[in-house]
Amino acid sequence: MRNMWVIFKKELFRVLTDKRLVLTVFILPGLSIFLIYSIMGEVIGSQFEEDRVYDHAIYAENMPESLEASLEEVLTFHAIEGDYDRETLENMVREEELELALFFEEDFEDKIEAYQTGTDIPQLVVYYNQGHQHSSTAHNRFMQVMNVYHESIIRDRLEDPDDYHPYQLSSENFMDERTVAARGIAMLMPMLVIIFLFVGAMSIGPDAIAGEKERGTIATLLVTPTRRRDIALGKVSSIAVLSLMSALSSFAGILLSLPRLMQFGDEMPDIGIYRLVDFFAIFAVLLTTVVFIVSLIAIISTYAKTIKEANMLIMPFYFVAMIVGILNSFGAEPNHSLWVHFFPIYAPINALSGILMFEYSPVNLVITLLMNLVYSAIFVYILNKMFDNEKVMFTR
Amino acid sequence: MDLEVKNLRKTFNLSRKQRKIERTNEKRRVAVKGLSFEAKRGEIYGLLGPNGAGKTTTLRCISTLIKPDEGDVFVDGMSVLNNSMGVRKNIAFLTNELKLDDFFTPNYLYDYFSRLHGIDEATAEKRKKELFKRFGVDKFSEVKVSDLSSGMKQKTSIAISLVHDPDFIIFDEPTNGLDVLTAKTVVDYLRDLRNAGKAIIVSTHILSVVEKLCDRVGIIIDGELKASGTLAEVKARDKSQDLENLFFTLVEESGGAKRA
Repeated sequence: MRNMWVIFKKELFRVLTDKRLVLTVFILPGLSIFLIYSIMGEVIGSQFEEDRVYDHAIYAENMPESLEASLEEVLTFHAIEGDYDRETLENMVREEELELALFFEEDFEDKIEAYQTGTDIPQLVVYYNQGHQHSSTAHNRFMQVMNVYHESIIRDRLEDPDDYHPYQLSSENFMDERTVAARGIAMLMPMLVIIFLFVGAMSIGPDAIAGEKERGTIATLLVTPTRRRDIALGKVSSIAVLSLMSALSSFAGILLSLPRLMQFGDEMPDIGIYRLVDFFAIFAVLLTTVVFIVSLIAIISTYAKTIKEANMLIMPFYFVAMIVGILNSFGAEPNHSLWVHFFPIYAPINALSGILMFEYSPVNLVITLLMNLVYSAIFVYILNKMFDNEKVMFTR
Repeated sequence: MDLEVKNLRKTFNLSRKQRKIERTNEKRRVAVKGLSFEAKRGEIYGLLGPNGAGKTTTLRCISTLIKPDEGDVFVDGMSVLNNSMGVRKNIAFLTNELKLDDFFTPNYLYDYFSRLHGIDEATAEKRKKELFKRFGVDKFSEVKVSDLSSGMKQKTSIAISLVHDPDFIIFDEPTNGLDVLTAKTVVDYLRDLRNAGKAIIVSTHILSVVEKLCDRVGIIIDGELKASGTLAEVKARDKSQDLENLFFTLVEESGGAKRA
């Protein structure tokens, strides 16, 4: 085991003292996620703000004053005055010179009030351009106003306004704020965990093994009195630690950008809802999962002749992990069946969802952890055999 | 106990790509056909042969990088098949195939391989000073391998391959690609090691290296040992007592070096 630590320390030293690797493996993932998510948040926020302050150009013919006042409450606009024919107005909407053109029939409100069953109903024609952001917004706000107006008219037409309600609805929400917060956190986190761990391992694993084969440095190690098991364990453990560090960088990027992305203002999501035991459970799942992923990537990297080939061979596994992650995110309930906890990748994602939603059983969690370790041990055993196989190590 | 190669046989599968390159329909190639020889302590044994004769395969079997299909190699009485770890502890293998990681300095790599060989720090430090001084590595010991010239890299590789002061030293083409001065340093050092009682095997296709350096020589052609003995004994097989003539005659007798 002594040589395992010698290899472990050398691999860590190799990565942590290489400025380029430190930048690409630990700083860039977190920084790029922070920048991308922050910019996305800013863009979405500025879009809302722009809609709020933008002075929409609206042409309104015979618009009742009450409706104009209601529209002013929900939309900033200025009325276009002038004598235009409909064709000109249609072109103006198409050319995005005008956001909305409203043609109310003359005496619109009077005709609605005077309505009797069987008589004509007044007409309203609306021109808008859904392909134009401001026109679409103006149309949506106008339709909100018209829906309220419509509802009030129907209510007025009934002899007893209470007839408008066919039933009395009484809803009581017994929401537990802790559960709602947990669901919010569990929505994306398990999927991101797997993706970040995979990406972290992919950025280091192929170079540490396939790269050594490609550069011819692995043979130098193989002629030393080092057990193949120690080489396998030294490589896997060092890549696991580095992958975990890379994943933590990505998480830091996400956590720091969340306030901007989700428009929380300056408030961070409250992870204080979790107990210490939950954090231990999360850490145990992370640790065993990263060992599993790294062992898998180590086997593929040992089989591959070059870094490029290793990366190509890893890709299908990465996609499978991503798909499993996506299927178990966005509010999917954790699966409590015993058998699912024997499946690699699926089981840890499911376990993380369960822990984050306070819905996990210790038995299922232990099975998940054990299975991760069992699969990893099998992979390390295979790796050990592969390091001893001249066809795998020296065939070019 | 010395180093003994007994009835060594090694076969390789040829990939479709290799078959295409070598224009052959053979699916398997016998690289070494029942090779036997002995390298004694205090002597340099030269394994001479054209390219593709099976020299490197033989050395890789001795160094435990690959396993023989038949036969065995005994290093100080330890079998490469049954006690490969024991063999690795007492053997140095240097070949162009074994590279140093470009990112590290000679100093770091020396310490790293010393630790892998389980050498205590004081001994490692003392030996590092000696070896680095001998090969002039001390002048660039803190320069990354990527920034070293090929001669400097070769000197560093030699120093590092000897961290554990092994009794058996296997050098594949020891002076290949070296300038005259560096080649002389290496040759002189190998002589010193011989005088210190080490058993040394060098493989080469350069006849002058064999004549200058080796006490005994084995000529390997097409995986078979065609001549073996002291330099004088082997030379005596040719009328003109010329190693080069004998070498060409043996190659021709074997139908020419197939992959030379």
